Amino acid sequence: MFEKFSEILTNRHEYARDWKKRTGGKVVGFFCSYAPEEPLKAAGILPVRIIGGHKSSDKVAKYIAPNIGCSFCRDALGRGLEGDYDYLDGIVQGQTCLHTGEAFWVWQKHIPLEFSYFLAVPHSTQTIGREEYLAVEYAKFKTALEKWIGKEITNEDLDRGIESYNTNRQLIRQIFEYRQQDNPLVTGSEALDLALSGQIMDRDEHNAMMREVLKKLPERKMDRDPGTRIMIIGSVNTDREFMHMVEHECDIPATIVIDDTCTGIRYNFNDVNPQEDRLMAISLRYNHRPPCPNKDWPRRRRIPFIKHLIKAYKVDAVILFNHKFCQPHQLDNAVIEREMKAMGMPTLTLEFDIRIPIGQFRTRVEAMLETTMDII
Amino acid sequence: MITAGIDVGASSTKAVIMDGNKILAKFRQMAEGEEEYVINAALHGAIDAAGIKREDIGKIVATGAGAKNVDFADDIVTDISSGARGAVFEVPASRTVVDVGAEQARAVKCDAEGKLLDFATNERCAAGSGAFIESMARALQTDFVTFIDYHFKSDKDIPLNAQCAVFAESEVVSLINSTATTADISRAINNSIAERTSSMTRRVGIEQTVTVIGGVALNKGFLDSLQRFLETNVTVPADPIFTNAVGAALIAQG
Repeated sequence: MFEKFSEILTNRHEYARDWKKRTGGKVVGFFCSYAPEEPLKAAGILPVRIIGGHKSSDKVAKYIAPNIGCSFCRDALGRGLEGDYDYLDGIVQGQTCLHTGEAFWVWQKHIPLEFSYFLAVPHSTQTIGREEYLAVEYAKFKTALEKWIGKEITNEDLDRGIESYNTNRQLIRQIFEYRQQDNPLVTGSEALDLALSGQIMDRDEHNAMMREVLKKLPERKMDRDPGTRIMIIGSVNTDREFMHMVEHECDIPATIVIDDTCTGIRYNFNDVNPQEDRLMAISLRYNHRPPCPNKDWPRRRRIPFIKHLIKAYKVDAVILFNHKFCQPHQLDNAVIEREMKAMGMPTLTLEFDIRIPIGQFRTRVEAMLETTMDII
Repeated sequence: MITAGIDVGASSTKAVIMDGNKILAKFRQMAEGEEEYVINAALHGAIDAAGIKREDIGKIVATGAGAKNVDFADDIVTDISSGARGAVFEVPASRTVVDVGAEQARAVKCDAEGKLLDFATNERCAAGSGAFIESMARALQTDFVTFIDYHFKSDKDIPLNAQCAVFAESEVVSLINSTATTADISRAINNSIAERTSSMTRRVGIEQTVTVIGGVALNKGFLDSLQRFLETNVTVPADPIFTNAVGAALIAQG
């Protein structure tokens, strides 16, 4: 049922090249999920999230030291330097952590592009004036886009962008709700491919595919034991091998029923509420979305959000991951782990790298699953 | 019921046969040759030692890094769970189990029945495990027994800074060429592993009694260092190499 999403995600570069050929449009890569995609869509541009390929590249170490640079950023930059993203016409970074910023700046300097834009985002999305500030930055971004594409982005264009993305997030959430069932109708691996494929596809095409899925999904019969219900918490999760291992290769059954990641529910949780000032409406959505640790201070709003998801999705155990050398998530994970353990939630913390040691991780996941059941 | 526990580790496979709570036999086969041969040799070694027939065994549970390769096993458990179960059987007061094998090190918190409650493991690095000690003993041109004797001939604490087994070996070679004695270096190596193990154990919390299992538990120098870092005494079962296999055989008892 979700094979097409998986196939497009696997062949994402071919998809983008084909989209360019079909539409004659421009493609812009973005790093963090704080880059506003609605104005890009409004400009007729395809926004594509830049992710790694879980492959090493000897071209990266020249720019980012492997013993301090976040593994996800090194992997993503490596794919850029290796030419995987040679179809991009531009790149955008919505400011979050220094590691993604570094990947952006290296990309900007060493990979030829027509357009690049570093978009300032409030350092904390809890500060006074954050909404107005971001709306002003969006106005500057819109002007830069208009100058590049040589035409005005009208309110009607923005409405189309907002509509397409709101629909996309709503459809993803509708599909995710089927994961709340006692025997979830969508596995975690499928949910990851579904959500991640959206971030590299034309959202209208993605929406059409999801509508087809929703016609058949309620009647779907799952022939697997859901086992322990797991929530995965972390930053950008693109590790399909890990998800598959947890759900299909462990000796003890398990299903990843929900996540708090910027490739999953955190990215798709809230919509743009239409208002006359379209850029302010978009600013409100990004300011009020479930935060990433870079934006979530002085109060940690992630913890109540995580607890809400645990209840709604009947979570039995939690896997916390952080990419190697990702300090913002490492800092948050220590607190989340303490909170989880205080509520008696079995919790496993893993450090993801460009490639993960799948056998060792399987043992750790199985051991955590053993804590949730009576095996002796 | 007669059950068998098979622990397929990195350097050897251990088989234990039990009848209820009674251990009938133990057998260890070094990991030399094809894994299938090693696993079968371990099981049949234990069967012969127990004086039983293969068909007398009601259930077999496999554990350890290569557990999935035991194709005749009725069930598989992680060596984290089997270690906890085995340690509580051998030392009933165990609530914290430290397992240091050839390539893996882990600290486990368990309850009075040996049920796994929480755990921490070493990352992708051999610098906190038995393979590291063997490699360092080779660098010191000594055998394992003499290496341990050397530890107790030193009272100096020389730090080993490297976080990687390969770099640590270079550091040891530098120490050999400096004024440090072999005794000081032996103690430094044990301190280095013990410090890593202690930090991992503190992550799960130290609850009495702390029991150390796995091949490295036979290294009294390491135990001496570990007790200093943990600031508590540790207990070692009579045959710590077999504890995981004992745990697996007990889990097979149901």
